[in-house]
Formats: sequence, structure tokens, C-alpha cells
Amino acid sequence: MSAAAKRPFMRLALPYILSLPALLVCIGILIPFGTAVYYSMQRYNLAFPMGRGFIWFENYQAFLTDPAFWNTIRVSLLYTFLTVTFELLLGLGVALLLQRRTLMNNVLSIMLMLPLMIAPAIAALMWKLMTNPNFGILSYLVGLAGLEDFKWASDPGTALFTVVLVDVWVYTPFMMILLLAGLRALPRQPFEAAELDGVPSSFVFFRITLPMLTPYILTAVLFRMLESIQQFDIIYAMTQGGPGDTLMVFQVQAYLERYQYTNVGRSAALLMVLWAITFILSNIFVKQWLRLRERARGV
Amino acid sequence: MGSDSGWKRVLRGVLLTIVALFFLFPIFWVFLMSFQTNETILRIPPSIVFEPTLQNYVALISGKLVSNAGVLEIAFMKNLGNSLILSVVSVALSLLLGVPAAYAFARFKFRLGEDIAFTLLSFRFAPPLLVLLPLALYFQSMGLIDTYFGLIWVYQLITLPLILWIVRGYFEDISEDIEYAYRVDGNSWLRTFLKISVPLARPGIAAAMLLAFIFAWNNFVFALILASADKQPVTVGALAFVTASGIQYGQIAASIVLSVTPTLLLALYAQRYLVEGLSLGAVKG
Amino acid sequence: MSYLELHGVAKRFGKETVLEGLDLAVEQGERLVVFGPSGSGKTVMLRLIAGLNDVDEGTIRIGDREVTFEAPERRGLGMAFQNFALYPHMSAFDNIASPLRARGESMTEIRRRVTEVADLLKIGHVLEHQPKALSNGQKQRTSLARALAPKPPLLLLDDPLRNVDAKLRYEMRLELPRVLRQAAATVLYVTQDYKEAMALGDRVAVLDRHRVSQIDVPDTIYARPATPAIARLFGDPTINILERRLEGGRFDLFGQDLDIPGAGSGERLLGIRPEHIEVSMEPSAGSIPVVLDAVTPLNVRAVLLLKTRDGHELLASCSEEEAARFPRGHKDVHATIDPARIHLFDPGSGRRLDASGQRLDGGAEHG
Repeated sequence: MSAAAKRPFMRLALPYILSLPALLVCIGILIPFGTAVYYSMQRYNLAFPMGRGFIWFENYQAFLTDPAFWNTIRVSLLYTFLTVTFELLLGLGVALLLQRRTLMNNVLSIMLMLPLMIAPAIAALMWKLMTNPNFGILSYLVGLAGLEDFKWASDPGTALFTVVLVDVWVYTPFMMILLLAGLRALPRQPFEAAELDGVPSSFVFFRITLPMLTPYILTAVLFRMLESIQQFDIIYAMTQGGPGDTLMVFQVQAYLERYQYTNVGRSAALLMVLWAITFILSNIFVKQWLRLRERARGV
Repeated sequence: MGSDSGWKRVLRGVLLTIVALFFLFPIFWVFLMSFQTNETILRIPPSIVFEPTLQNYVALISGKLVSNAGVLEIAFMKNLGNSLILSVVSVALSLLLGVPAAYAFARFKFRLGEDIAFTLLSFRFAPPLLVLLPLALYFQSMGLIDTYFGLIWVYQLITLPLILWIVRGYFEDISEDIEYAYRVDGNSWLRTFLKISVPLARPGIAAAMLLAFIFAWNNFVFALILASADKQPVTVGALAFVTASGIQYGQIAASIVLSVTPTLLLALYAQRYLVEGLSLGAVKG
Repeated sequence: MSYLELHGVAKRFGKETVLEGLDLAVEQGERLVVFGPSGSGKTVMLRLIAGLNDVDEGTIRIGDREVTFEAPERRGLGMAFQNFALYPHMSAFDNIASPLRARGESMTEIRRRVTEVADLLKIGHVLEHQPKALSNGQKQRTSLARALAPKPPLLLLDDPLRNVDAKLRYEMRLELPRVLRQAAATVLYVTQDYKEAMALGDRVAVLDRHRVSQIDVPDTIYARPATPAIARLFGDPTINILERRLEGGRFDLFGQDLDIPGAGSGERLLGIRPEHIEVSMEPSAGSIPVVLDAVTPLNVRAVLLLKTRDGHELLASCSEEEAARFPRGHKDVHATIDPARIHLFDPGSGRRLDASGQRLDGGAEHG
């Protein structure tokens, strides 16, 4: 064998060199993540540095009997359920309305995308202005409708409704875009065949459109669930979790636990519970997403 | 579907009007508010007829809010500048690091690459606070808290996975033979990457860049935890401003308008790329 | 020493072996057609030579240089790809100019060379077009022009006619020898069309089962295929392969006792080319009664599907005029096979057994 017949080092190393920065970022994530796991098993309150110690799963065990924790679970799930449901229904409806490629529809679909471009925290401020009891246009309008003393986010009875409304305003466009893309990517033949056969449109929708759209719906719903269960910006900017504990979703609760009550251990444990939920969800989502992507690129 | 009966078309029009009203009215209304004085804002009933004024913007841009209670210093323009620095530099850095890595993941199928790509993707969906809380403590001891450097570093969590995953898909779509042909012509790997692969993946890079910029600009929680007033972007700054200014509703509206204008304009300007990026690669334009 | 040499080359993708122990020597200025069924590793071999993939074992030598792991851009060869691989963001001119630019030629020289090669390939009028505005045939010519433009000493053509329609393929098959002669290069031409191989190759290398199973001038490969597989690949309609037991050169062929003198004894595979089966209406000495099942006219030749008494199917071919002699609906005909034109193969090794009467009776060349 001749001396030259050696694979050059650079050629073997190239992929690793190229991905090195990404690897470093990865490590940069994994170290704090590991630390968070470690904190979650500690009694660790910044206000009482003396009491710090390793306590295995006591933080987690404490959750089981803690009504605040169950409230967080309840509120988070309810918030996720309400936002995703409304966004799906509204997004699907709008996508169906805009399905045909007319100039008007294209312009409208671009305009409807705008709320998604606004920072959720800023969107919350916009809605705060509009629901201000003194001059808010929405307060004025519901007042005209007879709801004189509608307090929006400051009333425990309507706070959830209000933040869900903001979430729906911000994120429905995402559903709309993905489902519209899906609708427009559907093969035309089944629809043409159905039209020729004079099949009623409700039948076409439930038996042709919906089944073919399912992969898109599934992807969009999973993606939104992942984000919604972690919602922080809108709720924090709007009410900081209040009034009372009405809107104490996971991340808001964890944030306050850490920055108001300086309880690092508990905060970390709470976030670990959320992480476990999102980990499962994201695994399902990524599989679904990759399948959809393969399909989109395959044909 | 070709022939809609009359009442169907009317119904469609009515529904679309309601939808457009719901999604666009808030933007429109806050935009109007930003050109009003507090007196006209507080009028009952509210009206869209008023004498527009630029005083809110003047106050924000000059950084001085003059009221009967005295002069209030506003750091809002500073926040706007911070947003710009953080987003632009973060995205630029992510492109520099992410595009070559995306290429490596797309072209050389290797175990480590897959692992990195999936770790980044899975943490893209993990609760940000989970990483941020320990990171804040680390940053404190490393002196990185409240620095552009530290923030931009952390912003890579938002921008890098996005660029990696979107651009990777585009690289995968380029025929390997095209790159090979260019190599055979007598060009080095690097030249081929720059002259063939990157130009051909440009729509993907543009979509990823745009999306990354918008996500970085709109981020709230990273800076909330890792930055003080001096380094805060508009998202956090606007919230602080609301608390500080109290009842200066006109200025609040103006600050909102200023903070959302860059992303809205970008979105309108490059909506084609945006749709591609936002639909998660589920369509190809 | 030959101009291009491959020694003991092996290439595997994961668990799948594509090439194994492949040896190949190509002389300077030679036009060698690499022929093989799809999936036989022809393209992979070209890519190894071009440096687009690394060999797992073995060495590659071009000229007097060993280039086994040399980067592709430093091998100084030209290559045309099966799918054309044009740069979609560059005009046809820039596509063709690309190798010249990489070699640092002056602008005037680039213009001169591009125009020259474009005229040779008759695409001078579309040089300003983007690839997507070119027809398939123009794309194919552009990709060929790009490979030819820098006058590389070694030219690799990966089935360049695969993706063009039949008419263009026919035209190019006539035109290519002239174009390649002008290039004055050593040419490796990959194809899976045996007619293309016959028409274009000074020699043909047949790739089968991970290595070169025969390399020779086209006529010899047709006349003396080294294996039944090669015999099947080379020739249209396909050769008839039968299994028979020989006793001192004698065997039974559908009731006829035939003799291949000196063919020895043992199991044999017999290859009978369709054109070597003579079909007539009347029986003659040594003919086999068969049923004429179908006549398919094919260009100037007709293919006959015959069925023997025991239900065996045989393909025969003859000129159209001859085929016209068989009245419509006429079934019973007679086939005569000249034992001297039967190809013999060892069923164990799969190798040819009669080396023009020299190497007979058993003894396979390779294991």
C-alpha cells in the first residue's frame, strides 16, 4: 500500500469542525439543565442560604399535598385546552374562508398574519390599553352592550377569558397559516371527483377535507400545545398571574417562586414537572413534524 | 367550488369582515391612540375623529416626558436600540454558526450531528425558565449578567435551532451532484459551499433569518431575567415604561407602535419567506 | 503502465458492498465504456475516480500520480452527470465557463473556449439562458460542454444520455464519437444500454457483482461473453440460457441429439443467441419442431417467440423479410441450432468454458 493512500485528516474532521459551535451551544444548554435538575432536589432558598441541602425528591413530594401546585396544573391545562381549541376552530375556519387563491384572499391572509409578528408581551399591553376601565374601547363597547362593570383581566371571573382572548388573537394566525398551507397543498382530484358526483359540501368537508388535513392539524395543535402550556409573556405582562392565583400557570408560578419567594429549589422542581410534560409532547410533535415535512418534500 | 350562490358569498364576506376586524382593529386602534393626547384618549364616547399630535413620539424620542408632575426620564429609545443590537447580532451570529452546521447535518450523516440537532430542537420546546434560572446564577458569578455578550449568547437558544432546522432542510434539497460538479470543475470545498450551496439555499436562509429576527425581537423572558433597564429590549422596557409612566396612555401607545413597527414592516416586506418559515417546512413555495 | 489504473478498489455503503476487489486499467486516449446493470456500481466507480467518494480499499492512479484520496478539484478531470447537475443560478455560459474560471483562464480565453465548445455541441444560441429555460437536450449538451470546456485529459461521462428522449439519444449516439474524438481525452463512459456500449466504446468493461467481469472490444464481448450474465446483458433480444448435462460433448436438445466436439462432460449452461436459431417451415436434418407463438417486428429485425414440445420458451430473431415468410396463424415451424455457435458456461463458477476450443472441459479460470 502506498504511503499516499491515507484519508486526509481534514476531510474526516470537517463535519465535526462545522458543527462545533452548535455543539458548544448544546453543552451550554445541557449544563444549566443539569444544574436545574440538581437544584430541584435541593432545599435551596436564597433567603436562607444556611438551610441549603440535598433532599432528593422532597420538593416533588411536597407538591402532592400542595393546593397551589394542583391549582397550577389545573390552570395550565385549562389555559392550554381553551387556547388551542379556540385557535384551532378559528384558524381552521379562517383558512377555509381564505382557501381559494384570489388576490383578495392572499392580501387578507398576509394582513391576518400581523398579530403573530407582535411580541406577545406587547400584545398583552395593547389589550390592556383596550380593556382599561377608564378609556378602553372594549370596556366602552361592552358597556354599551349592557355589561357596565366588566373588569376584564382584573376580575377573577373574567381574567382567564381575557388572557385566552389575547392568546387567541396572537396565535390563531399561526394555525391559520399552517392549515392554509395544508389546504392549498391538498391534491385536487378527490374534490373534483366529488363535485362531479354532486356530493354535498358538508360530506366533502368531513369525509375528504378533514381527513386529508389531519396531519397538518395534528402538527399545528401539538406545536401550539407545547407553547401554550408554557405561556408566560402574555400572562405575566397582563396580570402577573393574578388576580389572586387565578392565572398561576407553570412558568409564572415558577418565576414568582424564584424571584418573589427566592425559593430556587421549589421553582426548579416545578419547572422539571413542566419539562417532563413538554418533553413527552415535543417528542410526539417532532415525529409528527418530520413526517409532515418528509411528505411535503417527497412529492 | 367554482360557483358560489349569492347568499354564500355574502356570508363569506361578512365572516371575513368580522375576522379582519378582530385581528386588525387592535393594531389600528393603538396606532390611533399613539397620535392622541390624554384628553382625547379619555373622551367618552371614544371617537376616531381627533386632531393628531406627534407629542407622544417627541417625548419618547427626546427621552423626556414633561407632565405637570415634573420631568420623567424615559429610556425607551435606549430599549429600542437594545432590541436592535440584540436581535441583529444574535441572528448574525446564529447564521455564522448555524448555516455551516446545518450544512454539516444535511450532508454528512453522522451520529453526533443528529444528536446535536435533536438536542437543540428538543430544548427549543423546553420551558425557557428551566435553563434561565440556573443560567442567571452562573452569569452572576461569571459577570455576564446584564451584558450584551451574555444576552446574545443566550439568545442563541432562540435563533440557532430555528436556523439549523430550517436551513438544513434546504441544504438537503440541493442535489449533491451540483456541488460535486463544481468541485470537479476545480473548486475547493469552501468555495463550493459559498458559491453553490449557500446561494441555492438562500430562500431557506432568508426565511430562517427573518423568523429568527422576529423571535429574537419579540423575546421577553430572557431579558426579563438576565438584563437590567440598561440592557433591556423593548418588550421588557415597554412593560417597565407602563409601570413608570402610569397614566401617560398616549406615550404607552406610541411606545407600543414603535416596538412593533420593525417586525410588522419586515413581515409585510418579506411575507413569502415568512410563510415558508412559519409553516414549519410543511410547504415549499 | 496504463493511464488510469484502479487496484483492488472496494467501496461499501454501510453494510452494502458496492465494489469489491475491482481492478481496471485504461490506456491513454482510449474510450472505455463501463457497462453493467443498474445498481452494479458503475456510477460509484466514476465517483471514486473523480474523488467524490472515498474508496474503502485499494488505490487509484491517474497518469503517473496516485490520487486515491486527492481532493476532486485537484484531479483535473472533467465529468458529466446523469442528471446534468447544472448550476441552476447560473446561465448556460457561466455553467460552461465554470471549470475555466476555476483554472484561472483569462476572460478572452474563457469566451473563446465556451463559444468553441458550444458551437461543437450546437448550443451557441442558448448560452444566455438559465438552466430552467433549457430543453432537456440542451441541458444535456450544456453539461457535456461544461465537462469538455477545459479539455481535461480524462473525461468521465455518467450515462449522459439516460435522461433524454429516444430521438435525442439516437442523435447524440451518432454525434458523440466526433465530439469525443475532438476532445482527445481518455474517456470513461458509463451506460446501461448495450447498443450505446457497442457504438461508443473502443473497449467495453462489464461491471457485475462488484467488479469488472469482462473487458474487451465490443464485438468480442458479444461474440464471447465471459459469463451468462454478460451474455444476457449484451444482446437484444436476450440470449436463451438452458441447463444441460453433457456426456463427452453430447447432449439432448428438445429431442435432438447435439454434439459440441471437445466440450467434455458435466453440467453446463448453454447460451443460444436468438439470431443463431434458424426457423423454417420445413423440417430439416437436426431441426426441432416448435410452435411459433408470436412474431414481434422490432426495427429491421423480428423477434420470434418459440415454444418447444415440453413447453420451453425460446427467443429467436431474423430479418423482417424472413419473418414475413411465415403465414399469419401458422404455428408449426422448425428450429435449427448450430451447436458450434452455442456458448458454454460452467454453472458453478458462471465462467465461460470454450476459449475458442482451447480451454474446454471444466477448469474455471477464477474461483
